[in-house]
Amino acid sequence: MAVDLDRCTGCEACVVACHAENNIPTVGPTEAARGRAMHWIRVERYWEGEFPDVQLKFKPVMCQHCDEAPCEPVCPTYASSHTSEGLNAQIYNRCIGTRYCANACSYNVRFFNFSSPVWDKPLHLQLNPDVSAREMGVMEKCTFCIQRINTGKIEAKAAGEPLKDGDIKPACVQSCTANALVFGDLNDPDSHVSQLSRSPRGSKLLEELGTKPKVTYLQRESWDERSEYEPDRAKSSTK
Amino acid sequence: MNPETDNRLADDLLRPVLHTSRGFYIAVALFSSIVLCGAATWGYQIYYGIGVTGYNWPVFWAFHETNFVFWIGISHAGTLISAILRIVNATWRRPVTRCAEVITAFALMIGAMFPLIHLGRPWLAWWLIPYPSERGLWPNYRSPLVWDFFAINTYLTASLLFLILPALPDFALIRDRTTGWRKRVYSILSMGWHGTPKQWHRLESAMHIMALAIIPIAVSVHTIVSFDFSMALVPMWHSTIFGPYFVAGAIFSGIAALIIVMALLRKLLHLEAYLLPLHFQNLGKLMLTMSLLWGYFVFNERLTIWYGNSPHEMTVFWSTQTGKYAPLFWTMVLCNFVIPFPLLTIKRLRSITATVIASCGVVVGMWLERFLIIVPSLSRKAASFSWGSYTPRWPEIVIMVASFAGMALLYLLFSKLMPIISIWELKVGQHPQIKSAAKVQDAEAAGELV
Amino acid sequence: MTAIYGLYATPNSAQRAFDKLRAAGISEKEIVVMSSEPLEEYAFGSRDRQTIMPWIAVLGAATGLAVAYLLTSLTQRAWAINTGGMPIVSNYTNLIIMFELTMLGAVFATVLTLMKTARLPGRLPKFYDPEISRGKILVGVGRVDGSRVASVEAAFQSTGVETIKTVQ
Repeated sequence: MAVDLDRCTGCEACVVACHAENNIPTVGPTEAARGRAMHWIRVERYWEGEFPDVQLKFKPVMCQHCDEAPCEPVCPTYASSHTSEGLNAQIYNRCIGTRYCANACSYNVRFFNFSSPVWDKPLHLQLNPDVSAREMGVMEKCTFCIQRINTGKIEAKAAGEPLKDGDIKPACVQSCTANALVFGDLNDPDSHVSQLSRSPRGSKLLEELGTKPKVTYLQRESWDERSEYEPDRAKSSTK
Repeated sequence: MNPETDNRLADDLLRPVLHTSRGFYIAVALFSSIVLCGAATWGYQIYYGIGVTGYNWPVFWAFHETNFVFWIGISHAGTLISAILRIVNATWRRPVTRCAEVITAFALMIGAMFPLIHLGRPWLAWWLIPYPSERGLWPNYRSPLVWDFFAINTYLTASLLFLILPALPDFALIRDRTTGWRKRVYSILSMGWHGTPKQWHRLESAMHIMALAIIPIAVSVHTIVSFDFSMALVPMWHSTIFGPYFVAGAIFSGIAALIIVMALLRKLLHLEAYLLPLHFQNLGKLMLTMSLLWGYFVFNERLTIWYGNSPHEMTVFWSTQTGKYAPLFWTMVLCNFVIPFPLLTIKRLRSITATVIASCGVVVGMWLERFLIIVPSLSRKAASFSWGSYTPRWPEIVIMVASFAGMALLYLLFSKLMPIISIWELKVGQHPQIKSAAKVQDAEAAGELV
Repeated sequence: MTAIYGLYATPNSAQRAFDKLRAAGISEKEIVVMSSEPLEEYAFGSRDRQTIMPWIAVLGAATGLAVAYLLTSLTQRAWAINTGGMPIVSNYTNLIIMFELTMLGAVFATVLTLMKTARLPGRLPKFYDPEISRGKILVGVGRVDGSRVASVEAAFQSTGVETIKTVQ
């Protein structure tokens, strides 16, 4: 995936679409205040400068599907593992809820079902039948909408045609109003996402940690890195 | 060997086993009710989910994991006293070995409960057992949690055997001195022990081999527990010093727990003739050594981090030194180092009361140390937008208190099962045929030569 | 066949009884000694010292090591799952499992050897006397035929025995 930070407007349509597509529960204000909100993709907001020269920057962060994911070796039951296509899979049935993967993840993109998910009627009618609802006590995270990837592959095979770049769109990519999110096959050097990953504007998050994340972040000039380390300068929005 | 003193010894040490006071029943009732509260709270947590606690994103580990590491640490008491002192032939250890081994066994059992308590789906914990499942899936041997499973089970098995095997002669003693249902129970427990030289030799050989084996096992257990943290790329966790640091901390807290337990036993069971000031002095000196060692490791770790000045790590560093967790950090330093140091160094101050006070401080300090390793790091990971904080809520506090009550309860019940001081080992220590002058001095000082 | 034993209050007198019995022609194998504590400083208490238990412990450790190696490598190969780019048969981490099962093997081997050689769990021998737990040392002869009863009893009498008992 590639995320163009120069295009992102911070509208958070991706967050809402992800919730809708993946049956992510809305935990409610009390639980959110306790830090239990589950946003598989979140839009981080950074303020820079003093009024009136304030700048606002947005950064959508989701599971980076790292090639050397620190969350994978630590799972005792192989619930977090790497598929042959390069995705980091979270297999809910295997998860016993040790939460070690969440601690190991440097990006904090893994979420835990602290309680049983609830959808008040009639919201239960809106649930996506292609995605399993998770039980209490199980970890979950962004899957790059694996259900859409699988559907796309099956439909292409059924139609007898090869998959084209842009055929498969995760919910966040589909809903992005500014076309800031791009998804595709990194193994195909001609795909849009492969080209963007080679762009001079591109960089990876926390690259120095060696996790080999797959998501390329594009920006014209690198952000003032100090804002990442000094919380006073980077006043974040409510979680 | 004087039959009169031997019989007095056996009578004194068997009295708590054979006679029960009203205070015992009250204590058992009290601790049982606290343990039941804890069990009910755990049931509540299982039913409603981990959400009833204060756990959140990104602080996914807090009280339960602190308690886990804490209790496994306490369990290192027995190994030090029983195994290490046995191998170096320190004769003063004889009255203390069984108390220590009991602490080890029960602290391990309680510690091993916490990995189950912290799970999101504890009813599936059996998936950690390596067995050919119908899914074809085995545990992931690359995960430190699976290493924990193997290490703790090995240590628990070895410790229980290390406790029960030398108890056989004492079970036989009780079998011979009682009648009725007690005689039947102890006949089974003693497994037909009859004290021939061959049996004694085999038992002592087995004990020697097990003492040699249990020391590396104990070191590996707490190292592997430290690997739960050091294997993750979390600031101030990913440190190579964690292995030895945790082992030293474990022995430190283990000795402190042992001193407290010994002082209580001495008072409540009237064992003043057997648990002497000398024992507390020696253990106090050992605890002082461990306090210095602990301080050395903490200084080492923190200097390296401060000097390296890596931004991610410094954020966590300052939060413990001057920030949100500073009060806890400095309390820990006070409890683990500042208070014990004068109490244990200055000979005039090193009384039984002083060592107990120092030990209580150490137990509190070491619990805080485990907490301060886990929570500040998780609340300030590399991704700064997702920093968080943690406040405990009542379920994890109740479960923690229940774990202490559980330890007390298990210890109380155990004191009814077998004498808390190993009778035959104490009698051996009184043998007149002692080879060297140093040993004679030791034995005289320990009051073992009558 | 009767069994005769005597109860002694001190190890020194027990040792004298042992020597007297040997002098009376009873072989070492037939003499039984029981006590409530190990008395290795005395000759009667230092029999049967030889044991290969340490070697069996080493054998147990080797077995544990082999089992652990097979358990980890075979199961990791059986279903190869990529976790974080680590090798499928990750020997560096498997060493930890191997260490633990090695130690467990040594412990089990030791305990099993102890139980086998000390005959635990077992029945109490027919002439076991609870007085042993009051600090007495029992020295006895398990099978005495009629002709030797007198010499055995004489050996006991002359060494300050507290009680002599006969068991049929």
